[in-house]
Amino acid sequence: MFRKIFLPCAAGLFAVLGASAANAEDGGLNDMQIAHIAYVAGQIDIQYAEIAMKRSHNADVRAFAETMLRDHKSVNDAALALLEKLGATPEDNPTSKSLLASAAAKRAELKALKGAAFDRAYAANELSYHQFVNKTVEGTFIPAAQNAEFKDLLGVALATFKVHESHAEKLVKKLGK
Amino acid sequence: MVAATSQRANVMRSALWAGLIALIAGGVLSLATSASAETHVVEMRGFEFFPAEVNAAIGDTIVWINKDVVPHTATAADGAWDSGLMETDDEFSLTIEADTSTGDYVCTFHPNMVGVISLD
Repeated sequence: MFRKIFLPCAAGLFAVLGASAANAEDGGLNDMQIAHIAYVAGQIDIQYAEIAMKRSHNADVRAFAETMLRDHKSVNDAALALLEKLGATPEDNPTSKSLLASAAAKRAELKALKGAAFDRAYAANELSYHQFVNKTVEGTFIPAAQNAEFKDLLGVALATFKVHESHAEKLVKKLGK
Repeated sequence: MVAATSQRANVMRSALWAGLIALIAGGVLSLATSASAETHVVEMRGFEFFPAEVNAAIGDTIVWINKDVVPHTATAADGAWDSGLMETDDEFSLTIEADTSTGDYVCTFHPNMVGVISLD
């Protein structure tokens, strides 16, 4: 049941980010499009965390969600500050739109769950989400980024998201199947 | 009468000298302590404490500075002291006293971040 629910979602996200990776490698994504995708990816995880804060009573899940709220807001604020400094504006693009559509479906799934089932589903989604985002940021966005400061910020974001991935992995194990 | 007054004056003079000597001695001791006290700086950087271990003596001060873009804490593992939320570039100071809890400390937001205070 668990796999049936989440594998399609993970596959959907992978397809979205896989398409963006192909675009970036083909020179199809510029820095401002990558910035938009990265910002949207952070906002999506903030929205997942907000659901967790409303639905979960598990102390570990709530602590993790609070960390996601704090950290993704901080990283996105840093991104906005850099863009302002550079006088640049993030560009909306099909990958961002696809990410948002996939996330809306995932939020609906999460909202249909409660109790331990919700906690396990939220933790599993956080793990798969961070795994795929990290793979894309590390393997595609950072190599494709042109502006040095933006590339550095993507590196900082990646370090943050890798810590989240490790944290999510421990949470998944603690919550069990 | 005169002898008694003189004796009282001597006692008072002795007490004053003793007090003065005690004050000077205390001041010198205090200066010696503060002169030998060290400040140890620990940076929170890349989701780690740098350095991860601090060897401190009683009277030393440890200063944590958050150099990451996300908030951290420096919190005693036993909860005896806590920096609270530290935003980027925030600082937190802890002076080590005889009863200060030492040993392991963590960032409560990021459990992988662990540091140690060892007493010299």
